Amino acid sequence: MSPAVVQTLSLARRSVKGTFRFPQAWFPSLFFPLVLMAIFTASFGASAAHIPGFPKIDGFLSFAMTGAIVQGVLISGVGAGGFFAADIEGGFFDRLASSPASRSAILVSRLVAGMFLATCQAIFFMAIALIFGATIQGGVVGALIVIVLAGLLAIPIGGLGVLLALRTGSAEAVQGMFPLFFALMFFSSTFFPRETMTGWFQTVANLNPISHLVEGMRQQIIVGVDWRAAGVSLAIIIGLAVLTVGGSALNLRRRLEGNQ
Amino acid sequence: MSSSTLQRTASVSGMLAWRSLILVRRMPSVFIPSLVMPLFILVATSGAFHGISALPIGTGSYLAFTLPFATVMGGGFAGINAGMTLARDIEGGFVDRLISSPAPRLSLVAGPFTAAAMRSIFTTTVVLIAGTLGGIVPPGLTGTVAIYLLAAFFAMSTACWSMGVALRARTVQAAPLMQLVVFVLVFTSVAYAPRSLQTGWLRHVADWNPVTRILEASRAAEFETLSWGLLWPAIISIAILLGVLGVFALHGLAKLGKD
Repeated sequence: MSPAVVQTLSLARRSVKGTFRFPQAWFPSLFFPLVLMAIFTASFGASAAHIPGFPKIDGFLSFAMTGAIVQGVLISGVGAGGFFAADIEGGFFDRLASSPASRSAILVSRLVAGMFLATCQAIFFMAIALIFGATIQGGVVGALIVIVLAGLLAIPIGGLGVLLALRTGSAEAVQGMFPLFFALMFFSSTFFPRETMTGWFQTVANLNPISHLVEGMRQQIIVGVDWRAAGVSLAIIIGLAVLTVGGSALNLRRRLEGNQ
Repeated sequence: MSSSTLQRTASVSGMLAWRSLILVRRMPSVFIPSLVMPLFILVATSGAFHGISALPIGTGSYLAFTLPFATVMGGGFAGINAGMTLARDIEGGFVDRLISSPAPRLSLVAGPFTAAAMRSIFTTTVVLIAGTLGGIVPPGLTGTVAIYLLAAFFAMSTACWSMGVALRARTVQAAPLMQLVVFVLVFTSVAYAPRSLQTGWLRHVADWNPVTRILEASRAAEFETLSWGLLWPAIISIAILLGVLGVFALHGLAKLGKD
């Protein structure tokens, strides 16, 4: 293995361990999606079928599962960005920058750690939903598509977290972006289908890439394996990753140049 | 408590409440989220779950259904703010200076408690204006007063909770705990759907959750169907919340500086 790969894996391991060590790092990303999934299912589960435009589903929990998975990845991304910012504040980043460690490992390790955590999270949410009666129409293949997409989604989200950390250098400022992520989810079809929305809100949800991303994943659960829908989700993830990871790479280079 | 002590407590509490209110101008980062979040709840919830309007929820508009959720949650945020401000004052040494002064100890919680109620009046006003702009016909005077009072009493209850946490944790790092309990309390009530639509565990939790009665009374006030039968359970719920959480805050205050 090349030194860069070893360093990347070592830093990724540190990042994962750091997340598990602090409950405040992983608890919100598990607690809030699970609680909202449970509340929405108990609130709308019995009557969703009577709402005009609501897709035919085999239980609201199956519908809500994808929302919980994406929400978990988004919250984790903010948390990971906060930890990266804490590394900048605490001086670890400067020590790393002055060491002979690979520059790309600094960024890539965060994304690898994020992917690992998001994959674990997706499996966890799916398992909980299945235990409580959710079904996956796409079967094992559908479930795998959703898990892989959730893992890949951690790249653009983690990239955004790192980008914000590099721009602000403050963990508090990165954590302060949480409401923005929350708004992005609410102004999309993460929790309810776009077909039941109206007016300007529906227009915003139509334009919000999160809507199409979630729907591509949800399709595998409530309808069945749909490669086209999965492709749309993947295309959105790649597009967002180009923007956020590209932006964070650029900012990382600037910060490193500033350190010299 | 003698009348002069009572007078002094009221006077210092009033000053501390004023200090807490003017912090809004000095530290907008503390106040703005508590103003934006109720508006966000109103707009995002009513927009995302617009389809629920087609179900029997007591009104044809989910925006109207959500409005009391936003005003009560605005009260909740005002209460959380009281705890966060107190925690900051403890960390910054202001509370220590106040304890060593002749100012009555009770004013330490009475001031932020009053400020929370006053802040909730502001957030309720903003939410009501936003609702009116969104097309909701405002209720009459009695209904409007009831909406304000219910949000203000909830603000005072959550202020007691968050100040109790602040007095024990003595750090603003405890803010997520203050928020978490208020969120869970509100979200597991009838925030998103009436009890008639709820199923399973949520229905049972909502039945026992005191916020359910507060929200139901606030909704009835908005729809001008508020009756004594809906009001008294709300009053009892508020009394229970204020009693239990008030004791929690006062117990924390009594322990302050003694360990």
